[in-house]
Amino acid sequence: MNKTKILSITLIFLLMFSVVVMAGGNKDSSDMKGSSDKIEMSILGIGGWLPSSLAVDMSGLFAKYAKENYGYDVEFSFQESPFSSLFQKAATSLATKSQEYNIIISDSQWLGAFAEPGWIVQLNDIIAESPVLSEVKWFDPIVKSAYMTYPDGSNSLYGLAQEADVLVLYVRKDMLEDPAERASFKGQYGYDLPLTFEDFIDISYDEYEQMIDYFTRPADDFYGTAIQFSKEYDFMTGSLYPFFWSTGGEIWDSKTGNVEGILNTEQNARGLEKMVSYLKYAPPGDINYGIGNVVEAFTQGKVFSAFQWAAMGAAMIPDNMKDKVMIVPPPGKRMADGTVKRVTSLGGQPWVINKFNDDVHMKIAIQFMEWWYTKDTQLEFARRGGNPVNAAALNSPGFEDIQPWFKVLKYMLTEERARDFWHEPTYAEMLSFQQEEFTSFASGNSTDAMATLNSVAAEQQRILYEAGRTKTPPTAK
Amino acid sequence: MKSLNRANVLTRNTDWFAYRFITPVILFFIVWNVIPVFWMVGLGFYKYVMISAHGPVFVGLKNYINILNDVRIWNAFSKTFTFVVVGVFVETCLGIFLGFLFWGSRNMPGRRFALTLLFAPMVLTPVASGLFFRLILDPTFGILNHILNTLFNIQINFLGKGFNAFASILLVDIWMWTPFLIMMTLAALGSVPSAELEAADIDRLPFISKFRYIIWPHGKFILILGILLRTIESFKSMDVVFTMTFGGPGNATELLGIALYRKAFESFKMGESSALSIIALLVAIGFTAIFLEILNKRKKVEG
Repeated sequence: MNKTKILSITLIFLLMFSVVVMAGGNKDSSDMKGSSDKIEMSILGIGGWLPSSLAVDMSGLFAKYAKENYGYDVEFSFQESPFSSLFQKAATSLATKSQEYNIIISDSQWLGAFAEPGWIVQLNDIIAESPVLSEVKWFDPIVKSAYMTYPDGSNSLYGLAQEADVLVLYVRKDMLEDPAERASFKGQYGYDLPLTFEDFIDISYDEYEQMIDYFTRPADDFYGTAIQFSKEYDFMTGSLYPFFWSTGGEIWDSKTGNVEGILNTEQNARGLEKMVSYLKYAPPGDINYGIGNVVEAFTQGKVFSAFQWAAMGAAMIPDNMKDKVMIVPPPGKRMADGTVKRVTSLGGQPWVINKFNDDVHMKIAIQFMEWWYTKDTQLEFARRGGNPVNAAALNSPGFEDIQPWFKVLKYMLTEERARDFWHEPTYAEMLSFQQEEFTSFASGNSTDAMATLNSVAAEQQRILYEAGRTKTPPTAK
Repeated sequence: MKSLNRANVLTRNTDWFAYRFITPVILFFIVWNVIPVFWMVGLGFYKYVMISAHGPVFVGLKNYINILNDVRIWNAFSKTFTFVVVGVFVETCLGIFLGFLFWGSRNMPGRRFALTLLFAPMVLTPVASGLFFRLILDPTFGILNHILNTLFNIQINFLGKGFNAFASILLVDIWMWTPFLIMMTLAALGSVPSAELEAADIDRLPFISKFRYIIWPHGKFILILGILLRTIESFKSMDVVFTMTFGGPGNATELLGIALYRKAFESFKMGESSALSIIALLVAIGFTAIFLEILNKRKKVEG
């Protein structure tokens, strides 16, 4: 054999070897699970979202509990992805029937999309057979209907609430308490600035707009409000819907699956215009603001108030602002009887269990859930900054004092004051279209709110009609 | 006769040797390129939504018809063409200009350092560049607005207004990719034989004539190859836009890459997104054909 032959054969073997090594390196880690004494569990959650990461931060407590009660060693790892791409990450893995992620922290509206292809475990039997899970009392019926049930109104349970959340209003308490500001505001508008949580319960859109108008001072680079208008994921939608719901509007009929004639109403068009009108009281870049940008604007002292998720409380109130911030119910519509009606967007996430888990991982996932809903674990979650969901924790004495946002969380987390949007498998398509249309209107690319809603309603009606969810075809665009 | 046989054996050995080296590459190409492309072509004729319980359903050309009737896709094509034409034109002009400057200043002190700095944007990760610029251009916290405000008392909402946002992503693309065309210009100029240039200098040929008769004939292939590569890359642009504007505000910066991403990974319409990918691929092939035709035509005229 000559030298070139030896060289070429060696190179080919080296190449094949490296391919084999690389393939082995990328092998699904699930193959390794359970092979050693310590069982590895993997949770996929939302990147940069404290309640998600707390699940794994607290998993050490479960490991100890499991060792004492069940006699095995377990270790959790955390895979993460931003809101906008977590579903893609989970879906592409589950589509291959992988158990790469044993437990997934899903967004509530993804339940249908995970459940329909048969990727996640239906939990009815598991809950019924578990002496712990079957005894959990949820804080409000909305916890079960929004985070656990698919299809809407059925008894099929696919998720368990990991954390509850609502869109609330963060305000600068120190500015509200400033005597000079109070006197000046009263001189201008004839009434006092609100001071307490209870005062804010009586704040309608009209009063709120006067407040943010008053505090908007572009010369000082200071503005009245920050609100999410970003095209990414559901950022603008989540902020817009309260303007519909609080004024008596709806986004669809979950029973018939119809959107047209329900979303595209004059009332909702005014709601859209109202939200967009807030841009004049917001920092110049607000049109692209997502969750992180609102945090930045508020914590950097650029705005008087901000619409933000309760779950972002820890990020919204850094140490230097601890005594300067108050978290209150968002404004609503003043009704004929003088009360204020407000319905906010429901945030929060359920967790779902991968249907392709092997028996060992399935069993541990269920035992983890049982541990999660014990009162002690829920209170520990609350102390670390998470929003618990079971009544035992939320109704325990002193709960509202654990975190500054717990009072408003309890106040808003009811069927009467919070609402979720569709849990349909087509949610992503419906959301994607309306995010484009709504942000187009907000940025001035289109100027007719009613035409925007007509376009969204027709497209969503088409999507639901083609999915067989409604019998009513869309009207021609 | 003996030497002829020996030559044949040598050729056969060399062929065998070459095949053994090229086989893994071909296998890799087939597995990772050819099969997925065929798969994608096939999927383009099916209705398949990844998150539905239903499997793929054959729908013939319906996906293509849907795409061609979708105003938003036409809008994305229109924006993409504007982005490609304006971006590549400006990058080419700047790249050629700066390339000639560097070519003519070979003895300038610090030339290599300057070139390294100039090429830096091209080697940065596009996602990182997009994020940097998003922060730089932010109207509230961005350094650029801070400077504008301090010096001229003006504030520009770079990414919040449709036209501004489009101009911003275009400028970032130009910032990132002009160095590539500088590099291609330098490579093209490097391929010009120095003897011919020296002869032209001795004959005191004006620069225009030198360019037309010596530089262009030798350097054009590399330069046009550079423009072709840039055109195809620019047509596929997605990463910078994704991080800077996500196609917004509204759909002001929704290029084809973003539209395709949204169809595939937001709506999970695998059939329609495959069809759209095929259309995009055909357009990219069209660009390539046009450039090659231009090159061949010139070759025929000159030949």
